[in-house]
Amino acid sequence: MNKIKIILTGFILLNTAAYAQTKKPDFSVSGTMGVTYEGYGLNRNPSGWMGYTPRRPWNQVRFNFMPNFQFDKNFSLPFNISMAALPTNFAGPYSGFIPGGPKQDFKQWITNPVNNIAVNPKYKWAELQLGTQYLKYSELSTGDIGIFGAGFDLRPKSYRIKFFTGVSQAGISYFSGPPTIAGAYKRRNWMFQLGKEKEGKYEISLNIAKGKDFVNSSAPPPITIKPQEAVIISLLSNVYFKKGWYVKMEGAQSVFTRDLTSPATLLIKSFDPFIKAHTSTVRDYAATAAIGKKGKNFDLGISSKYFGAGFQTAGYPYLQPDRFDYLLNTKWNTWKNKMNIVASLGQRVNNISNTTLKANQFIGNLNWFTQFNDQWSLNINYNNFGFQSASGLNPYGIKNVSNDFGFSPTYIWSNTKMSNMLSFSYNYSKYDERDVLTGLTTGNNTHTALFTYVPSYFTKDFSPDFSVMYFYNDVLLAKTTLFTMSSGLGMPVAKKKVQLRGQLQYNFVKSNTFKNDNNLIASISANWKINKQFSWNTFLSTNYFKYGNSILPNGANYLESACRTGFQYKFDTKKK
Amino acid sequence: MKITGMIICLLATIQSLFAQVNINMFLAGRPPANLSEWANRREVLNFIMNGSQSDQLVVKIKTEIKTLDGTVIGSVNLNTAKSFTPLPGVSTILGSLDVMPLENMIFLGKYQAALAKTGKLPADNYMLCLQLVRLPDYVPASNLVCKNFYLAAYQLPILMMPANEQKLYSKIAQSAITFRWTPVVPNPTTTVAYRLQVFEVLENQQDVQALRSNQPLLDKNIVGATQFIWQPQLSMMPYENEIFDSTKTKIKDKKFIWIIQTLDNLGMPLNQSDGNGESRSEPRIFFVTDRESSIGK
Repeated sequence: MNKIKIILTGFILLNTAAYAQTKKPDFSVSGTMGVTYEGYGLNRNPSGWMGYTPRRPWNQVRFNFMPNFQFDKNFSLPFNISMAALPTNFAGPYSGFIPGGPKQDFKQWITNPVNNIAVNPKYKWAELQLGTQYLKYSELSTGDIGIFGAGFDLRPKSYRIKFFTGVSQAGISYFSGPPTIAGAYKRRNWMFQLGKEKEGKYEISLNIAKGKDFVNSSAPPPITIKPQEAVIISLLSNVYFKKGWYVKMEGAQSVFTRDLTSPATLLIKSFDPFIKAHTSTVRDYAATAAIGKKGKNFDLGISSKYFGAGFQTAGYPYLQPDRFDYLLNTKWNTWKNKMNIVASLGQRVNNISNTTLKANQFIGNLNWFTQFNDQWSLNINYNNFGFQSASGLNPYGIKNVSNDFGFSPTYIWSNTKMSNMLSFSYNYSKYDERDVLTGLTTGNNTHTALFTYVPSYFTKDFSPDFSVMYFYNDVLLAKTTLFTMSSGLGMPVAKKKVQLRGQLQYNFVKSNTFKNDNNLIASISANWKINKQFSWNTFLSTNYFKYGNSILPNGANYLESACRTGFQYKFDTKKK
Repeated sequence: MKITGMIICLLATIQSLFAQVNINMFLAGRPPANLSEWANRREVLNFIMNGSQSDQLVVKIKTEIKTLDGTVIGSVNLNTAKSFTPLPGVSTILGSLDVMPLENMIFLGKYQAALAKTGKLPADNYMLCLQLVRLPDYVPASNLVCKNFYLAAYQLPILMMPANEQKLYSKIAQSAITFRWTPVVPNPTTTVAYRLQVFEVLENQQDVQALRSNQPLLDKNIVGATQFIWQPQLSMMPYENEIFDSTKTKIKDKKFIWIIQTLDNLGMPLNQSDGNGESRSEPRIFFVTDRESSIGK
């Protein structure tokens, strides 16, 4: 905490001194602020039937306030504040904080990812980072989670000096529920980067990131999660050459303790002064590399990633290690930019460390778009992935193969009053899974066909669209047919100050020999630009679903409604 | 003279037998792949010592891990191992922390390397053998008990479809979105459920922030399959109005993040000792766009 105070004091003094020398500050404030209300309703029939569960909070209010105070050309004070009135956490360490559940204390509230309070004062090349920050130093070090704390980002000339420390999750005690709170240990993160960068030329940096859980920070502690500690040190080097050539590389080593309550040991080497070894400490490596060329009409690149089985980082909590993959990708515009081809081909190998059973995946994608003339265009796509592995003690190995092929011709024609777009799309998807006990392969075939018609009037303001979709999925003992008709209409009203758009969608759903289900979805949005700065956006949606006899009780139905309305104010004192 | 010596030896052996401690072991057939995790689960390894009626011995547990051909790949360092004094006529139950103290275990070559890197031994069948030895000469003080076990870490599913950052056309996505993922490897002996969750990434939100703070639009357990066709029953119309012009449309997408959590037959995370401890796979992003021609570009 003292360090944070020192950083803060130093920065304020630095800015005050610099600011005092300025004669006439050119002060301005710009940004946005707003409030949004979200409402949700669900009526289920017959009464007491719980076959469909709510999927949004009943009520929610969200605030955002993002002003940027610009004192002169060198000093700015941007705030980034967004908050929700109610916690709605269903996954991750805060899972269980939901409306009607246990209350959060202040530390839990301020570090809850639903809230974001940050201010980043910036003077020339020096930026102070306060509050919740989502800082990504590199792909292997950190990170994709928000951390509430303090730090700085200094960029004198081409140098990069960054540091940040804070709490990525507060201590949360286990609660059996309902609702169950899985609980979490308080986790503090530290990160540091020292580097050099010249935009478009090169970037080199040394990154160190650490995360540590506090063993006594939750009582009772989580049942399934253990207190962890991780340190990652990575070296990143990106170089950009002439004519679009580039080489990107990063190598990293992690030292990770799965369970801080496991006994300390001398048999495993500690990584002093960052981490002391326990019996659950592992040390492993990761690397990424990419080489390629980017051009106006042609891209070609190959990239690969290696994650050792013991590689873990606190900055990317969902990272899956123990894999090696490579991907060759290309993008090609030709035929006077009327033909566009995007393709990728690659392989992923899991269990490179041989601690699990080896698994191979093949990945191939192709998307080919051609604009033949002003009227006709065609899009073709093909996606494939295969997965193959032994399956332990079972007689047959795992083998899943997915193939998707689609084509979509579009025809556009016009006259003096309107243009018309007619599009057809067909997709065939085949997914085969082998049963590891019997060796039998189950085929799963899906056909999707879609017609879309969009007229555009040159002299009228309204813009309708129509579409019809047929979807058929056939798998052993289950056949599902979906038929959808939908239509939308957009138009300005009230002297073009309000943009209205509505959509109506009907779904016919049939499973096996059961009586069909019916589904009707209606939605409307109204965006009212009250003046240049102030707008009021409203979105309403309702969804009525009635089962046939595919579930009990027969004829069960529900009506789901959602409302979202909010005011947004954009301000900029310079424009006044 | 020889006969006298033999008699003395025989008597000593008989005395030694009487002074022995009976031991027994319960070991799960498929314990957690992370050896350090054994200590956190009482059900994995239990060791029972029934003290001799006659003598109170000071003993150490000689622990060995072997491959099925009998090669010892890891053993406890008896010099630094903890000693025990089984009370006469009393049963003492010990867990993994005492029986297989990793801070005192020495592994061979590639096994040590695998353990240091991953915390796991290479996937295979192994044997755990335990025997009590007397101090100070490490003479056997109990029968030898051995149990086989199979060690293999679970590889969580990898999310395959929609591919990361794939753009789906709203006119199709509003009716059906197909999710596919790879199965957990190796195939568990009990039924697993794949908990599929889909979250919308709202304005001003980061991807993982949405995952950790929003209510999921879909939260479904799928058993025995690695595909799910979701009928979203959502209006995929963008929140802000869009002028539907075939030539000059600024595309506004809806963004979603999806994830799979793998649960065992008790509804608990299958692989609690790795990564995030929640058995959640790496999430993926997909967009729903109102422009078909943008797909794949």
